[in-house]
Amino acid sequence: MVKRVLITLWLLACVPTLSSGAQPTELEEQVRVIAADLRCPVCQNLSAADSPSELAQQMRAIIKSQLEEGKTPDQVRAFFVSKYGEWVLLSPTKSGFSLLVWVLPYLALAGGLIFVVFVIRRWARAKPNNQSKDLSPDLLQRIQKDLRADKAWDSKADIEGPHGPLFRERARLYTELRDLEFDYQAGRISKTDYEELRRGYEEQASVVLKELDTISPATLAEPAPESEPMGQTVTNPTSAGSRRTWIFPAIATFLLIFGVTLGVLLSNSLRTRTSTDDSITGDFLTGTSSQGDPSGSTVGAQDLPSLLAQGRGAFERQEWPKAIDAFKRILAMDANQPEANSYMGLILADAGHADSALTAFDRALSINPNYPLALLGSGMVLYRQKGDTDGGSQRLKKLLGTLPPGPEKEQLKKTIAEMGKGGDEGEGAVTQAGVPKESVQGAITGTIAMDPKLKSQQSGQGVLFIIARSAGTQGGPPLAVRRFERPAFPFKYSLGQDNTMIPGTQFKGKMVITARLDKDGNPVTRGAGDLTGAYKNNPVDVDSQKQVDIVLDQKTP
Amino acid sequence: MGITLFVILALLGLLAYGFSRDPRYITSPLIGRPAPTFTLTLFDGQTLSLEDLRGKVVFLNFWASWCPPCREEAREMESIWKNLKQKDTVFLGVNIQDTEPDAKNFLKQFGITYRNGRDMLGKISVDYGVWGIPETFFIDPQGQITYKHVGTLGWPIISAKLDEARRRVVSASEGKGSYQPIR
Repeated sequence: MVKRVLITLWLLACVPTLSSGAQPTELEEQVRVIAADLRCPVCQNLSAADSPSELAQQMRAIIKSQLEEGKTPDQVRAFFVSKYGEWVLLSPTKSGFSLLVWVLPYLALAGGLIFVVFVIRRWARAKPNNQSKDLSPDLLQRIQKDLRADKAWDSKADIEGPHGPLFRERARLYTELRDLEFDYQAGRISKTDYEELRRGYEEQASVVLKELDTISPATLAEPAPESEPMGQTVTNPTSAGSRRTWIFPAIATFLLIFGVTLGVLLSNSLRTRTSTDDSITGDFLTGTSSQGDPSGSTVGAQDLPSLLAQGRGAFERQEWPKAIDAFKRILAMDANQPEANSYMGLILADAGHADSALTAFDRALSINPNYPLALLGSGMVLYRQKGDTDGGSQRLKKLLGTLPPGPEKEQLKKTIAEMGKGGDEGEGAVTQAGVPKESVQGAITGTIAMDPKLKSQQSGQGVLFIIARSAGTQGGPPLAVRRFERPAFPFKYSLGQDNTMIPGTQFKGKMVITARLDKDGNPVTRGAGDLTGAYKNNPVDVDSQKQVDIVLDQKTP
Repeated sequence: MGITLFVILALLGLLAYGFSRDPRYITSPLIGRPAPTFTLTLFDGQTLSLEDLRGKVVFLNFWASWCPPCREEAREMESIWKNLKQKDTVFLGVNIQDTEPDAKNFLKQFGITYRNGRDMLGKISVDYGVWGIPETFFIDPQGQITYKHVGTLGWPIISAKLDEARRRVVSASEGKGSYQPIR
């Protein structure tokens, strides 16, 4: 029976789905894009698109309504800036003082690169030649003279001869000396550095010159033996040094790449927690996906249809935590999504939170004033839980106007008619004049007593729930529930047709009757210290038995 | 050497400046601007529009029952209101991010008699850039915001700022007390 009604509800919920379409619209995508640019004022490090906070939800709703009014994305952004200041923009405007934020990183990067280039050049010049040699003034003079001479220092024969490497080394050192001189004159290098480097080069050049002096002119012309590779004929005084100079840039490059990779990986792997059991890392960092489906670090508009289907499925199967999770994720994206709000409202109403349920229904109706499921849900909550018959029937009459002719419409007409009569009787109930409503067909009465052993531990606080479930069912919303605040024991109660949780359900047949004194008043949570009790001879056939007494004799540890 | 020292000192200075600021604090651009208009459904079922209050100094206070600093200031606010009642001043409370029963309990608990309503969808609070409660706006008779205070308020500031609002004096900066970030 319960299932049939739930399917009916589901069918009702499908009516707007067909007309408005559950596909993520361009509008939703636009809302997401704008919200992603705005900082959530409460959590600060999340955008309004990613933040699950209530304020971020409200901001998304406002963005949506402003876009629907025809404002451009820039106007919407400007609206939030006018309220929270430039602060609210995750990417500040590229003008005025904020321009600095855009320019400074690039300036710093350029400055850093220039610094690195200078340092590397210095390293490359500074030869690790620490053996201080006394330079003979003769050799120094020769070097100075060679440098001043505006001609090639070596003939082609010299370079191609067996001592070519020595000549080439001399040419290289002379070039370095000239460049150094030029850099110094141009002011690119300090005096200390200049002198130190110059001395190093001159020492090396004098070694090469001495070496060249020992070679007789006859050997210069001999061809080089083929077995001797050129680079190894002479101990190159700079080879060890130049190898070392490349280590630093290599390390620097490695560190840079490492840093960038790490930054990209981390920023792609961190996500907001979707539940308390969730972790903030995942995906390609640890390989774990976020809890629940569809998996992924962020829920985008494209996930809406599948999340809705998931939520509806879970609702139908009466898997409440799963359904709540799915609808909550939708509401994190779009706080006013009518279908998710309506279902959340139904779940909240079942759990006894009439006010929260009405808020959810009102959110749905703020987007679509004729949303059938929200009209039905709010109507029933107003009527049954808030005792507002007028408000309730008003909503249901509005719903009646939107329904196509069919069995649902007929059923709804009956319900409204019954509400008009006072609404004590369910469908098919026989009203007997002068008979109190408790003794109408199906209703039961009885006394709830407290086990004397537990009496001392009872503080007089708490909420008493009397619960009837159809025999053979487990989980999901019960058939009927009554709630009494701060009851005095022994407590007389009645439970009947008007306490059923889902409209149209009949209070008849075999059922299991239990009672619970709940400390926090929330029927969904079972906290320590709750007292429970069940009727001794469960299940009860309420059609034949009317008196059901229960003793609260169990304590939740 | 001199440049290196300068760069290091500049960076340290920036760091020190950063640490000395409250990263949560959002400076409002609304002071000196016209107060955003709104229509509020009060807890007694009546509706009230800000425009109806033109010609009066409006003390607009955003609060929630779950916010400890709001509870802290509630009694004092009510006693100030009782003493000011004869004058040309209106106290108006806007309850945000709350449930109706909780809000009503709060009003009952502290015996609040000035008008209060609920901002169900958060439109008014976003319009006023509210981020930490209690958050109070002082609006002059012409509908301009003259002062904003984030956090608890006491008699000296309230009386001074009401007086300034009456004279249409716009404060240079906003005030700050102990506050609770909204949700």
